[in-house]
Amino acid sequence: MDWTPEDDQLVVVRGPKPGGAGGAYRIFGETLRGLKTTFARAVEGHHTIAYPEEKVPVYPRWRGRHRLHRFEDTGLEKCVGCSLCAAACPADCIRVVAAENTPEHRVSAGERYASVYEINLSRCIFCGYCEVACPFDAITMGNDYELSDYHRSDLIFTKEMLLAEPLERSPIRAEGE
Amino acid sequence: MPRPERKLITFSIDGREVEAPANMMLVDAAKFGDVEIPVFCYEPKLGAPVGACRMCLVDIEGIPKLQTGCSTPVKDGMVVHTQTRRVKDAQQSVVEFLLINHPLDCPVCDKGGECPLQDVSFGWGGGMTRFVEPKRHFKKPLELSPLIAIDRERCILCYRCVRFSQELSEDYQLVLHERSAATFVGTFDGHPYVAPFSGNILELCPVGALTSMPYRFRARPWDIENAGSVCTLCPAQCNVAFTVRDDRVLRVLARENEEVDDGWLCDKGRFAYQSIHAEERVVAPMVREDGVLREVTWERALEAAKAALGGAQGRIAGLAGGETTNEEGFLLQRLVRDVHGSPHVDSGAGLDRSGLLALGDPGLQATVADLEFAHTVLVLGTEPVDDAPILDLRLRKGVRRNRVKLAVATSRPSSLDPNATLAVRYAPGAEAAFVTALSAAFYGGAVDEPAQAAGADAGAVHELATLLRTSGGDQPGDVVVLYGQRVLAEGEAVTAPLLKLAGALGLSGRPGAGLLGVPTATNGRGLREAGVLPDAGPGLTAVPSAGHGATGIAEATAAGELSVLYLLHTDPLRDEPQRAVWERALEAATHVIAHAGFLTETIREHATVVFPAESYAEKEGTLVHPDGRLQRLRPAIGRPAGVRAAWQVLDELARSAGAEHGVHTVHSATQQLFAAVAFYAGLSVDAIGAKGVRWWEDDARAAAWPQESGLRAAISDLVAKTPLSRTPDYEEAPTPSGLGAADGATNGALRLGTYQSIWAAAEVEASPALKFLHPHQRVELSPADAARLGIEHGEHVTVGSAGATVEAVAHLRNESPAGSAFLQSGIPEDAANVLQGPLVEIRKATPK
Amino acid sequence: MSSAILFKDIDEPGLGTLAVYQRRGGYGDVLRKGLSMPREALVNELVESGLRGRGGAGFSMGKKASFMPKGGMDKYLVCNADESEPGTFKDRELMTKSPHMLIEGMILAAYAAGATKSFIYIRGEYAQQADILDAAVAEAYADGLLGENILGFDFSLELVVHRGAGAYICGEETGLLDSLEGKRGNPRLKPPFPANQGLYQGPTLINNVETLMTIPHILGMGAAKYAEIGVENSTGTKLISVSGHVKRPGNYEIELGMSAREIIYGLCGGIEGDHEVKLWFPGGSSSPVLTSDDLDLGYDFDSLAKAGSMLGSGAIIVVDDQTSVVEVCLKLAKFYRHESCGKCTPCREGTQWTVKMLERMKSGTATPMDLDIMASVQEQITGHCLCVLGDAMAMPVGSMIAKFRPEFEEYIEAARERAERELVASLDAGLVGSAT
Repeated sequence: MDWTPEDDQLVVVRGPKPGGAGGAYRIFGETLRGLKTTFARAVEGHHTIAYPEEKVPVYPRWRGRHRLHRFEDTGLEKCVGCSLCAAACPADCIRVVAAENTPEHRVSAGERYASVYEINLSRCIFCGYCEVACPFDAITMGNDYELSDYHRSDLIFTKEMLLAEPLERSPIRAEGE
Repeated sequence: MPRPERKLITFSIDGREVEAPANMMLVDAAKFGDVEIPVFCYEPKLGAPVGACRMCLVDIEGIPKLQTGCSTPVKDGMVVHTQTRRVKDAQQSVVEFLLINHPLDCPVCDKGGECPLQDVSFGWGGGMTRFVEPKRHFKKPLELSPLIAIDRERCILCYRCVRFSQELSEDYQLVLHERSAATFVGTFDGHPYVAPFSGNILELCPVGALTSMPYRFRARPWDIENAGSVCTLCPAQCNVAFTVRDDRVLRVLARENEEVDDGWLCDKGRFAYQSIHAEERVVAPMVREDGVLREVTWERALEAAKAALGGAQGRIAGLAGGETTNEEGFLLQRLVRDVHGSPHVDSGAGLDRSGLLALGDPGLQATVADLEFAHTVLVLGTEPVDDAPILDLRLRKGVRRNRVKLAVATSRPSSLDPNATLAVRYAPGAEAAFVTALSAAFYGGAVDEPAQAAGADAGAVHELATLLRTSGGDQPGDVVVLYGQRVLAEGEAVTAPLLKLAGALGLSGRPGAGLLGVPTATNGRGLREAGVLPDAGPGLTAVPSAGHGATGIAEATAAGELSVLYLLHTDPLRDEPQRAVWERALEAATHVIAHAGFLTETIREHATVVFPAESYAEKEGTLVHPDGRLQRLRPAIGRPAGVRAAWQVLDELARSAGAEHGVHTVHSATQQLFAAVAFYAGLSVDAIGAKGVRWWEDDARAAAWPQESGLRAAISDLVAKTPLSRTPDYEEAPTPSGLGAADGATNGALRLGTYQSIWAAAEVEASPALKFLHPHQRVELSPADAARLGIEHGEHVTVGSAGATVEAVAHLRNESPAGSAFLQSGIPEDAANVLQGPLVEIRKATPK
Repeated sequence: MSSAILFKDIDEPGLGTLAVYQRRGGYGDVLRKGLSMPREALVNELVESGLRGRGGAGFSMGKKASFMPKGGMDKYLVCNADESEPGTFKDRELMTKSPHMLIEGMILAAYAAGATKSFIYIRGEYAQQADILDAAVAEAYADGLLGENILGFDFSLELVVHRGAGAYICGEETGLLDSLEGKRGNPRLKPPFPANQGLYQGPTLINNVETLMTIPHILGMGAAKYAEIGVENSTGTKLISVSGHVKRPGNYEIELGMSAREIIYGLCGGIEGDHEVKLWFPGGSSSPVLTSDDLDLGYDFDSLAKAGSMLGSGAIIVVDDQTSVVEVCLKLAKFYRHESCGKCTPCREGTQWTVKMLERMKSGTATPMDLDIMASVQEQITGHCLCVLGDAMAMPVGSMIAKFRPEFEEYIEAARERAERELVASLDAGLVGSAT
């Protein structure tokens, strides 16, 4: 049985040979074409901002550092320590340890409360699933994006830190801005 | 009754032809066709279905009404539909009905995430509610017991817990109060539901109505990992799954193994895990310096142990406790016997080699599952609920469901008496005479004399023999004799008639029948087979010179013949029957090396070197179940810093004495053990797997059981139909003089019987949740004796014998036989082992 | 009344005593004849008579007896005297006036079923009747009519009168058995039926008082002759208890097949105050209701079934057009909510939900949509329960909604308006918000 190569034969396409007029155009012409873009942008002025003196305002739905909430009237924590945020977290950065409320020591409105609530912000991917999972609107994504620190361990935010008002607030973009 | 035969039938479900065993309930049979029918109240472990929840309604062709799949046995040619509109509507309406009164507090409910109601609502519910009225309200949460919280609002009244209490554990405590929508679960009189098996209702509850108090709010299902292992708190060796979070055991669940535990757990097994993380646990090695135990480095502790062992010139003895694994036991006996040349090693088997060989003969073995399917079960000298609790449930199941005839022959009234066809009593300590009488009744020997010596009614002995003989109709059926190790205290005087009895009942080589011995130690059988015996090495091979048994070791140490005691997971003052001699021995010993988890009195007062012991959730190794099943212990959590595995320590000590055995991992120890024990040949940890392997079920291994020359013949001799000539000597013991006759308060003597409560364990004491159950000494008396002695129920009394006394509270039991008094052993204070029977005196305690 | 069988001598003074009963022919030839027949013949006689259970289900009594297995095991006969169906009071009269007829019937039934132990489970409220039965049983024992070798025949029977504690569900046969065994009176799953596994797991025959009392009469007149009375499939006479808005309520013995109009307007003398019939329950409170259009139906098992209802225990409750159907419905639903045993989900939750919805209708916070929900809840209960108690509420409530829907809607609207008016009035009076 013999085999005759047909349409599936390989055709080798080679690049242009170096040198000659074509080579000169490729060196200078194309480079100049690229520089055109550069110089065109140069006249627009600078785009950098003087962070941290000046901050980029974020959109209201920007997902920044998480915040835990309390009920405004009773002051009790909204979080009941159900750990659903931890279950939803794709980065596995939330750790909740629950405990039981007693009449003498009431922390949340339900039977249980979070005695430990930690978010490891060095792992968090700010996807907002925790906020979606929360049945009590106890955790929401805040707007703060200034989260750098000198030690990794300092990026594990505890319940107290998450409940407290953030020290510096990021500016929020006004409507239509 | 023998196991029913299963034959396959074909039926159609949702248009698929499916094969399933005949008469299986539709819910289970549907699984053969990959069809899931939702259920709440149905739980095959609980016996006959009740059809209360109505969740499993299915459409069966030819029957106009929808039928409950949980109660309809599948028949050949049945056509079943589970996906029709009608069935869907019914399922949705049941879910809607269930949810109208169920609070939607899943985020705070411990069951959330592992809740059948959530799953079924999600899978079969309508997804919305039309109920706008207020829901039913109860006070919540309430303590049903110190271990169980009940939230009645969440209860969907599936009856599972009540059925467990009424029909499984038969404690008859849980009942339903009121009726209609106001129905609620509780105990009749509002007392806490405290029972040996109460924790099982936590696993049965399909909603979050019953939750564990110790586990309350500790973790959610996605925070945890389950690690399968085996519970080592009693010889029943139930399979468990540890719930682990952050390297801590937070919960213990049953891991169903039909051949071992049937999916149940006792409360000790379920809640004593707390002892693993107890504050008082020893987590660093200690050495006695200037009379005080101090924490030291491992190097120093090992040095101290090496020096002690090296300086003893072979005058050492090793004793292994019940929680010792086969590997640890194997290494201990090698260290003591081979490395240091001392034959004195024991694990409290209480029987010599020939006795163990005869009773352990593979042909005579019964399995746990046989208890359920035998024609008759004889419970001889053991209280299952205390000695191996899970067997109690198995026996009750057999009687209730398979009409097993139960015969109970014990000295102390048994909790199984109400279920028994026949209950026979004998005097405590008179096991030999009783078994002799029973055996004689089979062979036409003299019954009256030994029966009288045993304090048993000769008529009852004959009746028992008749029951056993006629269990299978005209001939003996499948009989299982479940005996406790304490029956064997008199050695050959018991084993001989017991073997004769086995012969008469044709137990040898008969499947579904045989002997099942419950050792006192958890791994008693494994330690024997690993050679932790004074007169036998690994695989029960004969040793050149026999050493002392446990009591002999104590006597020899007290006499100064032995100087170093190596205590592996044992506390002799608590576990051994003769406390006085052990106290002297521990005093006299120059060195006491102990592996211990807790600083008990013995360790605190007498140990010179203490190695911290692993807890059972940390240990790796193998165990042997009383019916010969090898099971694997697997580590669920890491060891605390400062704790090393016992096998490492034992191997290190052997290596320092110049013996290099090449034990680098626990598995290499396991392999060496399997190589050394002839009848474990070919086994591996992989073969044991998650559910274990009964070694004697393999013919080649069973054939490797050592045959002492002439023993087989001796057994056949015993089986031969000749009346027993020898009745054990059963002399009346001298009148005790413990309390002194002079003070005039002596009221006459009673025969002393002992028992160890299920709650008498160091782990129970160390578990905060179980502390309330920890027993205090009490003496059980018959009302007649109490009246004679002028003692009332609940009164403080002093029990004395031969100069020793214990304080106890009098506990009058109507069932208690007159002439006997029963005291608890295994408790730290005032334990029964302080006294030496057989007779004790009781009098009112002098007011302090 | 010519057709009277059970009620023939019922008003004879002293019929409750053995002497009078025997003088009237009791414990005589009929009993001897029955006990001298082979068992199978006696059962056949009962089958041929076409006697259907008088307690509610209307199952052939003879067939039920023939389901009893043969064999030497302990078998039981239980008389269901837990007459708890609202509107039913026929057994009370029978037991008060003629206890010996029941005992005689039970002897014969026990003989037919091969039972040697029998029980009369009587509801706790019937203390007087229980005392009467106790006395009659004692008399019968003393006279050798119960106990060993009755009348010299090779047949022995023990009879115990057991008093219940007044739960409706204990009138359900399996609930009755549980209660008799000393357990909580909850219905059991069927199968196994009591004829196979009943009391103490033994085969058990359970029958109503009236059914058992009929047996001596069937034997006396012959099955064929008994079968001639009444209509096809509904043979014999039936005691009916008529209550409600009729002029002469009470127990009547009728030949089955008599028209309902004849009963209500003939025997009972019509409606009180000469109002019209709005609805009537033909067979106790658990039967679907019928309206005045159905008055010409023949009162027998088949005709009522065809009309979508049932004969049940033969208790006719008549409601006149002056009464609100919603109130009747609420009263009924409350009864069943209270009496539901709580074992199975649809009945436990469905009865409770229905009551809550009806109460909302009454308080004026319901909408016509709730009527749809209520109707669908009744459908969700029907046929899904462990025993028939759920159906016993769902069927009449469902039928009331179906047949009187406009009235329900009017009622809801009126209640809502009334509630609004009251709210406004209370606001005006300053009762609400008085703090301001």
